[in-house]
Amino acid sequence: MLCALAAIPILIAVAVRLSSAVPAGRGPAFLDRITQNGLFVGVTALLVSVPLFLPLTVGVVAGDTVAGEAGLGTLRYLLVAPAGRVRLLLVKYAGAVAFAVTAPLVVALVGAAIGAALFPVGPVTLLSGDSIGAAEALLRLLLIAAYLAVSLMGLSAIGLFMSTLTDVPVGAMASTVVLSVVSQVLDALPQLDWLHPWLFSHYWLDFADLLRQPIAWDSFLTNLLLQGGYIAVFGALAYGRFITKDVLS
Amino acid sequence: MTRKWMRWIPAVAAPAVIAAGVLSGSLPASAGDPLPEKTPQQVLLMVAQHGEKSLSGTLEQSSEIGLPDLPTSGSGAGSPETAWLELLTGPHTSRVYLDGPGKARVQVMDKMAERDAVTNGNDLWFYNSKDNTAAHVQLPADAAGRHAARPAAQTPAELADKLLAKLDPGTEVTVGPDTRVAGRAAYNLVLTPKSDISLLASVAIAVDGESGLPLGVQVKARGQSGPAFSVAFSSLKLEAPDASLFTFTPPPGATVKEIPLADHKADAVALPPDARAANAAKRPTVIGTGWESVLEFPAGAITLPNQTPPQTGAPDPATANPLQPGTADPRGARPGAAALLEQAAVAVPGGKLVSTSLVNVLILDDGRVLAGSVPLERLQSAATQR
Repeated sequence: MLCALAAIPILIAVAVRLSSAVPAGRGPAFLDRITQNGLFVGVTALLVSVPLFLPLTVGVVAGDTVAGEAGLGTLRYLLVAPAGRVRLLLVKYAGAVAFAVTAPLVVALVGAAIGAALFPVGPVTLLSGDSIGAAEALLRLLLIAAYLAVSLMGLSAIGLFMSTLTDVPVGAMASTVVLSVVSQVLDALPQLDWLHPWLFSHYWLDFADLLRQPIAWDSFLTNLLLQGGYIAVFGALAYGRFITKDVLS
Repeated sequence: MTRKWMRWIPAVAAPAVIAAGVLSGSLPASAGDPLPEKTPQQVLLMVAQHGEKSLSGTLEQSSEIGLPDLPTSGSGAGSPETAWLELLTGPHTSRVYLDGPGKARVQVMDKMAERDAVTNGNDLWFYNSKDNTAAHVQLPADAAGRHAARPAAQTPAELADKLLAKLDPGTEVTVGPDTRVAGRAAYNLVLTPKSDISLLASVAIAVDGESGLPLGVQVKARGQSGPAFSVAFSSLKLEAPDASLFTFTPPPGATVKEIPLADHKADAVALPPDARAANAAKRPTVIGTGWESVLEFPAGAITLPNQTPPQTGAPDPATANPLQPGTADPRGARPGAAALLEQAAVAVPGGKLVSTSLVNVLILDDGRVLAGSVPLERLQSAATQR
């Protein structure tokens, strides 16, 4: 799955390299900057993969955590060991979080690498019009990856809970991915303004705040708080469900 | 069985704790020390005297004036005609940095984009990240000096008195209960029109209790519970921002446009007398007084999107504004603006009406345009008076 994610920046870079110049202001944001600066491949790839690819892969991994073991019939053997259910749940969640951290990092780094290989690398123009050096730009790219990793942790917790509900891993994966899509659709409806700050996907695209000068940390902190809330709620739900569950398989 | 239910306690407790946290956070923080009582005059004096020249803060703007939301993405977005309207109608967050009289920077934070205005001494820069364009205006050298000289002409106290005297006949000026803006206790200066027909219900200005800096403005419309327009600091630091913020050099690859500053004196001399008369004829006339005044623009003074613009020397503010995105193709965007007008306007006897909760604009069939913060009937009677 990480390979599939890594293919996104490569695809973008090759497509931009082969095609003629992109007119400014068309297509996804930052796409027109790629020819001037390869580092933007990483940003563009992250931007493109936020709505679907990242939640999809994270949903698959998080949905597989418990239900996958149950589906294979290995869950009860895991529970025979004197490790306890809580510990198993924590380890499973840690695995999902590890993937949520790795996935955006892979996209960002592969993007930066392929961009550096195919395009010139130089000072990066921020949204504010200021320019920063390539090293600092790489740091910002890593910050964006960290931002997205935090953003995906709430979804991982939801996936973990879904995974404890069923023995069919595909069901847990699908419902997690569907929930992320539903959340984004709700976020796009202006009639539901009051709900927006509570949707776990609301701040996903606000990583652009890290590309301003000076960095606007507000959205990072709000996002951290929101995702923490989702982890607490769905972690507690998963605990309640998994501890009381009759494990038959 | 009870043991089993115990396991669900965390699942119930987690949302409960979060809800409690949110509720306690949203409750108005009880102000420790209420601000000392002040009359409107004293508050105005504070505003006039405030010495805060350096600050960095975040401004939140929202409006609920009854216009349709403009598309912020898609093909119709960012056309020159709608850009300035978009700044007024949609919610916006911008960061403001000020340092002394000559240095300022405003960043309008759009989604995945940003619009910047930077002024440092005699240079004024606009930057739009959406199409990577920059515009530069060289301000005349005496602009800064003129700016500095103005406050010296009158003492702040005189200014406050004068302003109050001017406001008094049609306006009730009171100091409402203290508010909190950006975590600071603030006086709430409320201007209420005495007029019965004005669409404006009140204008509230939050004035920082410590420094006298205006922190926010809230405009309320008649018959609307929420504010029709509000702009206020959501965070504020009264210290000098980083000096590097005010040095702007256009980024590599950006399209840079030099905008010459229109020289009014040269303009007046160069124009033939009949052109000057024509210009005068295009100036709006004011009907009525105070809050009930109606602006009347004679036919042809305002170019509507579905008409061809008359050839005038002065640049049309709608197309010359460099802060708006996508100045590249003004003609291609015309249908969008026309459609917008079509969408917002309602046919009424004698013309079309664009109605918002704060302002009514009546576009007559003969080309005249009347605007005012008054009901439609008032606009119509003003139109027939002449």
